[in-house]
Amino acid sequence: MIEGYQPKIIGFLCNWCGYAGADLAGTSRITYPANIRVIRVPCSGRVDPLLVLKSFQRGADGVLIAGCHPGECHYVEGNYYTRRRFALFHPFLEYLGIEKERFRVEWVSASEGKKFSKLVSSFTEELAKLGPRREA
Amino acid sequence: MTQIISRKDLLSWLERLIGERIVIAPARSNGMVLFQRASRAEDIVLDFDNTALSPKESFLPLSEALFTVDKENGNIKLMPTTVDEETVFFGIRPCDARGMALIDAPLLAAPADALYQQHRARTTLIGLACSQAGPECFCTSMGIAPDDPSNVDIMLTKVDDSYIVQAITEKGKALLPSDLIAESEVMPPPAPSLQAVLTEGIVEVMPGVFEAPYWSRLADRCLHCNICAYVCPTCYCFDIRDYIDEGSIERVRSWESCQSPGFTRLAGGYDPRSTKGARLRQRFYHKLSYFPEHFGLIGCVGCGRCVRYCPVNIDIREVISDIQKLGAQSEC
Amino acid sequence: MQEGLDLMPQIRDKARELLTSGAVDCVIGYERASDGLTARPLFAYEPNDVDKLIFDQTCAHNLARFLVNKRDSTVAIVAKPCDSRAINLLLAEKQIQRERVYVIGVVCPGIVEATWGQIGDKLQARCQLCREHTPLVYDFLVGEPPAEEPPAEPYHDVAEMEAKSAAEKHSFWAEQFARCIRCYACRQACPGCYCTECFAEQLDPLWVGIRIAPMENEVWHIIRAFHLAGRCIACNECERVCPVNIPLSLLNRKLEKDVLELFGFRSGLSAEAVPPLATFKKEERLGMSE
Repeated sequence: MIEGYQPKIIGFLCNWCGYAGADLAGTSRITYPANIRVIRVPCSGRVDPLLVLKSFQRGADGVLIAGCHPGECHYVEGNYYTRRRFALFHPFLEYLGIEKERFRVEWVSASEGKKFSKLVSSFTEELAKLGPRREA
Repeated sequence: MTQIISRKDLLSWLERLIGERIVIAPARSNGMVLFQRASRAEDIVLDFDNTALSPKESFLPLSEALFTVDKENGNIKLMPTTVDEETVFFGIRPCDARGMALIDAPLLAAPADALYQQHRARTTLIGLACSQAGPECFCTSMGIAPDDPSNVDIMLTKVDDSYIVQAITEKGKALLPSDLIAESEVMPPPAPSLQAVLTEGIVEVMPGVFEAPYWSRLADRCLHCNICAYVCPTCYCFDIRDYIDEGSIERVRSWESCQSPGFTRLAGGYDPRSTKGARLRQRFYHKLSYFPEHFGLIGCVGCGRCVRYCPVNIDIREVISDIQKLGAQSEC
Repeated sequence: MQEGLDLMPQIRDKARELLTSGAVDCVIGYERASDGLTARPLFAYEPNDVDKLIFDQTCAHNLARFLVNKRDSTVAIVAKPCDSRAINLLLAEKQIQRERVYVIGVVCPGIVEATWGQIGDKLQARCQLCREHTPLVYDFLVGEPPAEEPPAEPYHDVAEMEAKSAAEKHSFWAEQFARCIRCYACRQACPGCYCTECFAEQLDPLWVGIRIAPMENEVWHIIRAFHLAGRCIACNECERVCPVNIPLSLLNRKLEKDVLELFGFRSGLSAEAVPPLATFKKEERLGMSE
């Protein structure tokens, strides 16, 4: 592990679950690493693979998408599309030379502040072990 | 008497030049021959028909910053890009050398394009006469000979295992390696003969066929990719945009083509050349009508790259002969 | 090239009949290119044009690419099996109307590798992997359907790439994309790329950027391929027209392989099929947690 290296994580959090979960972690005073930069999106289904790719290009070491659990989407079925889209995009990123550990899609409900905190901690640790991305 | 240099000595000369300055020369890359920066003389390809892409990339790069912006003590300073390094461009064919001369006409006319001007001024062109012609070649129809030395600084013509060396300009003369050049009595071989396309009178015919349905029919099969414009040694259109990124600012120029969908789109959305036929027609009018009107020469050098690389075989030679026929019909 | 491939008279007769009767406005087929060897698209409007029509193993173009341009008229099209999959894709995505397209299907022996002025004797790589030699949609069929035999290992090269390390993959693709001159021929030749405004041309935000440089090229190639995920019908026209030999099929076929594994789907097999990323199954997990 590189001394003092702090990975940068871009987190696309859905307004209704992922973001609310992060909020709950905050209001419950559950800490998590400040390595994550949060971008609130209306639904995880809004996240275009283009946004993920651009994040990596602009210097992200990891990208997290957090949405409602399948079956609990605020818009009923948005996250089912997310699941298919990134089940396909994830191995594609790996194929292009972005290690699979650098990308995560997770389901975090509004009541799962603790889960969110653990998630960001474990993701940060894993990325720190992996080290910085090669320069493009 | 002529001056010659052996193949072996030519390579040692190039090796010497590589040590002194930037040398751009044909090299093999992914199944193509391309002009690339040479790091060893042995990578340079001496026997090839012509490169896949034209030499213009060295003078009008795919993308280039025109200037960057420096902020110092609250002051803003524009830092124009400068070209400082001397370059030798080796292996340019006579057709492509004419192509550079054609791009000079619009870009060096006052006010000259400063960056292009520097690229041109810092570069010495070493031409290589063609000893054979490809099936797509038609330079002679555009008034160029396969061994034409007019637009280069030094011309090399292959004879057996040696090259006849002609210094055309003072710049060329200064570069010649006197120690490697010998006197000889060899005669240059006859230039290869090429198939001809009738270009006489084409400039006069063009204005009369502008409205012909021919163009939209031709555009039926056109894909409107930019291949023809990007492989062309005489196309010089570009786009400009400012890149502003975390405190660094630069104005970037990149190749663009009249075939792309948004090329002539105006603010407000109107596009005077919105149809495929109009865009394809523009390409041929620029080459065969507008360019000669302004600069006196047809804007095509007969290198045949567009013929070879067009995915749907829109062949400028055929277009020229079709236009001649259309012109003849409308006269009757 | 195979001898005795004489489908020409049948194609010409059918085209003449359709144009003479006024059933179609135009027949999209192939004619001989200016090199006298290879083929190029032909748009025949008059019965007299019909004699220019050819069909042989140089007829590489996927003519279905032109159908969206001809939406407003009724056309006939000469379609190989791969082209017919593109027609199905366009029908499934409601880009063309079935009743306005008359499909002259051609049983395909495979297309040979050729460039302008030069014909090779080897079948194109995609044809060596072809699983359909008979068009999947047609109104009139030319040729004898052969017994279909699936190729042995269609994703051998993709698997090789997958096995490389992240660093190796990264440098391989960086090298490939660096070469791109962004002529967009890959997009323009593709029957599935019919957006009126491509993301590459959107100005605000400027997703790709005008700079022809590694970063911009990378966005272009990755997203182009992904926009065709589950839609690409493997005609490989993008790779064939690329002037700088970028191995685009390695991207497209990785996605094709994963789509097949994840969703059991191959595009263009029917006009009713919904592209896999435009639908879902509630019960599937796709390797993700619940």
